[in-house]
Amino acid sequence: MNRIVKYLALVAILLLLFTSAAIIPAQDMVELELWYHGGTQEENDETRAQVDRFNAMQDAIHVNFVELAGSLVAGTGYNDAVNAAAVAGDLPCILDLDGPNLYNYAWAGFLAPLDDYMSDELRADILPSLIDQGLYNGKIYAMGQYDSGLALVGRVSLLEEAGVRIPTSIDDAWDLDEFNGVLASLQALDNVEYAIDLKMNYGAGEWYTYAFSPVVQGFGGDLIDKETLSAEGVLNGPEAVAAMEWIRSLFENGYATLTPPDDNEFINGNAAMGFLGHWMATGYYEAFGDDMIVLPVVNFGARQATGMGSWAWSITTQCDNPDAAWAFMEFMLTPEEILSITNVNAAVPGRLSALAMSELFGEGGRMNIFVQQLESGIAIPRPITPGYPAVTSAFFTAMDNIIKGGDIQAELDAAVDKIEQDIADNDGYPIQN
Amino acid sequence: MTRSSRFQSHETVYAWLMSAPALIGLFLFVALPLFGGVYWSFTNKRLISPLPTKYIGLQNYQNLLGLQIIRLQPEIDEATGEAQKDLEGRPVYPRTRTIVRGNPVYEGYREWFTTDVLGGRFVVIARDPTFLRSLINTFTFVLVIVPGQGGLALIMALLVNQRLRGRYVFRTIYFSPVVTSMAVLAIVWTFLYNPDQGLINRFLNAITFGRLQPDWLVSADSALLAIIILSAWQAAGFQMVIFLAGLQGIPQALYEAAQIDGGNTWQQFRHVTIPQLRNTTIFVIISTTILAFRLFTQVDVMTKGGPQDSTVTVIYHAVDTGFRQQKIGYGSAVTVLFFVLVVTIALIQRALLKSDVEVD
Amino acid sequence: MAARIAEEAELKARRKRSRGNSRRSVTLALDYAIMIALAVFFLFPIVFMVVSSFKPEKLIFDDLKTIVWAFIPREVTFENFTSVFRRVPFGRFMFNSTFIVLATVSAGLVINSMVAFALARLRWKGKIIVLSLIITLSIVPLDAIVVPLLVLVNEFPWIDGSIGWLDTLHVQIIPFIADAFSIFLFYQFFIGIPRDFDEAAYIDGASPFAVYRRIIVPLSRPVFATVAILQALFLWSSYLWPLMATRGEDSRPLTVGITSFYGQDVKWAQILAFASMITIPVLILFLLFQKWFVQSVAATGLKG
Repeated sequence: MNRIVKYLALVAILLLLFTSAAIIPAQDMVELELWYHGGTQEENDETRAQVDRFNAMQDAIHVNFVELAGSLVAGTGYNDAVNAAAVAGDLPCILDLDGPNLYNYAWAGFLAPLDDYMSDELRADILPSLIDQGLYNGKIYAMGQYDSGLALVGRVSLLEEAGVRIPTSIDDAWDLDEFNGVLASLQALDNVEYAIDLKMNYGAGEWYTYAFSPVVQGFGGDLIDKETLSAEGVLNGPEAVAAMEWIRSLFENGYATLTPPDDNEFINGNAAMGFLGHWMATGYYEAFGDDMIVLPVVNFGARQATGMGSWAWSITTQCDNPDAAWAFMEFMLTPEEILSITNVNAAVPGRLSALAMSELFGEGGRMNIFVQQLESGIAIPRPITPGYPAVTSAFFTAMDNIIKGGDIQAELDAAVDKIEQDIADNDGYPIQN
Repeated sequence: MTRSSRFQSHETVYAWLMSAPALIGLFLFVALPLFGGVYWSFTNKRLISPLPTKYIGLQNYQNLLGLQIIRLQPEIDEATGEAQKDLEGRPVYPRTRTIVRGNPVYEGYREWFTTDVLGGRFVVIARDPTFLRSLINTFTFVLVIVPGQGGLALIMALLVNQRLRGRYVFRTIYFSPVVTSMAVLAIVWTFLYNPDQGLINRFLNAITFGRLQPDWLVSADSALLAIIILSAWQAAGFQMVIFLAGLQGIPQALYEAAQIDGGNTWQQFRHVTIPQLRNTTIFVIISTTILAFRLFTQVDVMTKGGPQDSTVTVIYHAVDTGFRQQKIGYGSAVTVLFFVLVVTIALIQRALLKSDVEVD
Repeated sequence: MAARIAEEAELKARRKRSRGNSRRSVTLALDYAIMIALAVFFLFPIVFMVVSSFKPEKLIFDDLKTIVWAFIPREVTFENFTSVFRRVPFGRFMFNSTFIVLATVSAGLVINSMVAFALARLRWKGKIIVLSLIITLSIVPLDAIVVPLLVLVNEFPWIDGSIGWLDTLHVQIIPFIADAFSIFLFYQFFIGIPRDFDEAAYIDGASPFAVYRRIIVPLSRPVFATVAILQALFLWSSYLWPLMATRGEDSRPLTVGITSFYGQDVKWAQILAFASMITIPVLILFLLFQKWFVQSVAATGLKG
């Protein structure tokens, strides 16, 4: 026993020394670390391929691709790891971040502004929604290759069977009453289990905020006041309450289920419609072909609203070679590379020139609705505030409690209190320079 | 004694030398972080913030424990001067929020719950209702899991301790969840707990003809129960092995002596097995209690503390506030309170169980 | 005398056994019924996991509609497993997990048993304080100190001159080698070994370290085995710490590696395949060693 223990200890120590010595930094080449959130499998493969292409086309810079997968859906796992690195002062050069988190990171001083790097020509060609999303305190801190789209999808055959009008552009979108009628008619069909898949399998998290804050806005409410950044009277006002009542009614009426087992309820035919982000659209199209239709978001009364914002690239202030990092970002932002990723993940291409080249998104393309939504201004960025992490967490927690039976007013009040508390804890998020 | 005092100083040197590696490790990786946490708990330190960290004294602790009860007065009808009644004749009360927000004394407080007793309406307000809820949930979990899982483990140990064919297979089966990672099992069980499509409800549907279809993780009423069942399922096999080892340590002669005295199976269990297992049981109770207080992974993977805080635990709250919500100072205060709590309970438990042994 | 009593007891028991034969078989049947019911309860999630990992993704859900089919792979595919290997470096994760467990456990056995020896069998000042401190520290849950620990290890130097331990294998090993609970278990066992052994050795002029090595360690195999198993189980399933302290695939263990599959498109079949591959080797190990394991725990005599 004694000898075994000693032997094992020796082996362990030797192996430790060996593994730590094995990593020898390369000479003469700028090494950059890049963190990526995982994405869907296809997206992941393509992003890796892009990094490989960049590494192959020149030999001054080498980008090390590090994938940090999250927990379910763009999840907290990735943010946990980024937070851990931020606190440890160990961020990579190039950081992939989900749009609205950038305000918090920028406020905290972890991100380098990109304005000086971006040529006027490039800036003019970027999709305006991406500029809006990347701006904090007058400077751009992150730039994505694409923006996201949130929409309804349906199947022409089922909608026709249900005898409902099929809108074709954002101008003739369903209003609330008509939509309720559509849901009821679809629910009545024999071959569907429920009318709409709301992707509740993603669980309480960013999906709720991304997908359902537009509903709140559509009813005339919002998460926070854009000027004061306060949530009081906004998130717990009567409009937000009405929005929540309507959302909950979908589950109570059996139009939607709280517990879809996976992402495929629409493909399986269990659900007649889907409420989803662009990232599912390709798979749906593959399943149904021309029978699948992307529908504009519903006009809930006060306004038409839909989600936007997606993962974007940023350069951290802990980067020793921001110029090299920008060289990589510039490569990623070429129209060719933008299209190579959006052809895979069906996101809205982030440059107007790329958009013009896209079959999917160009005029008449089957995803064109997403572009219309972004260009017409009905797509609303999630709250632009350094307090975003607290805002989204308060909102999705409240919504989760509400759809699982909590008191609507009390839950929204609690969410407001949490947001206010967070603002107070941070001395009102004073702008740093 | 055979050893001289010169030898004892020699022994002291050896003792310190042999203790040093472990003591250094414990100091660096357990004590130091713990002290760091205590220090931070008196500050407003944040994970990501350009603002300087400030010493704020006991503020974090006050925020955690702040609790008040207020009695609501019914709204007075201005015309009649009487209490307003709703259509069913019940008095109408103002919104708690209006009162809490309207009085600076209650600043930072939120409604925890409201209750109608003693002919009035009382509102319990707290600065952090989630923390108080996490205490209740954690204690509930511990109080159910310790006897429940321990009892199950003992029954299993008794069963597989018999010289029955296949006992090794059964032992392995009961133990199998223990060697599987909780982070993975929690995912699989989330799947099983799906109210409409999960295997568990399919099974319950078949044996109760649809009468029993809990919503499991989706409802605040059943989510903690779901976590408890999973936890007991995962860990009972471990306690079974401990009990099994305890059972095998009981001298066979004691049972034989009991048989001579005419003791039946129950009496043997009562008068031989139970007393002989006392030390094993104490170990199981103490270790399960400590492990149960640490409940985190299942909650993080399956419910994130919801719905309506019904599964939030103290450790979950510490990680959630201290890390996810970035309030390190606050999260550290949760940790410190937790540590004090668990040490106190462990000491009480040890004192009670030990004195019991001595009486015996 | 004792032998005669035992003999009598045996005779009596035998008589009783024949009398209660029919009652015994009823009890036996009942025992088996309970054992099988429990086995179903303990096994169905794992069987479901393993069986489903051989099914195409879509079939997993279709088969959930009937309880029986959920456990029968009517269409067997290895695609989920090949996808897992294609998508993540499973071998690397497996190596990391195994290495972390082996290194931590083996180093831990040495240093924790040494301090326990000093506490249990040597006379020195400060012993009581050290012992009570260790018992107190055994209650600190790792989850409660992760954030300060993270900040701390990030400041530590390493032998190659770099600062900060994050994203390495040793950050998952060194902090967990010294373990208060293991020390406690060793202590309890060592204190029960009769003093005569070491007294004799001391008279022959042995040093305390020699006594530890030549007398105590050989007598203490069961407790070494028990501590090794307990520590290995704990380390094998650790989750929060590696999630926070590592990022790249090079140093992540299996439990965090699986999170690569919780991306935007959840492929349950692959998750279940990965989970099965983590679980089954350990189950086989336990099946092989379980008799020995139980005996070790029994000999350790775990008590509070």
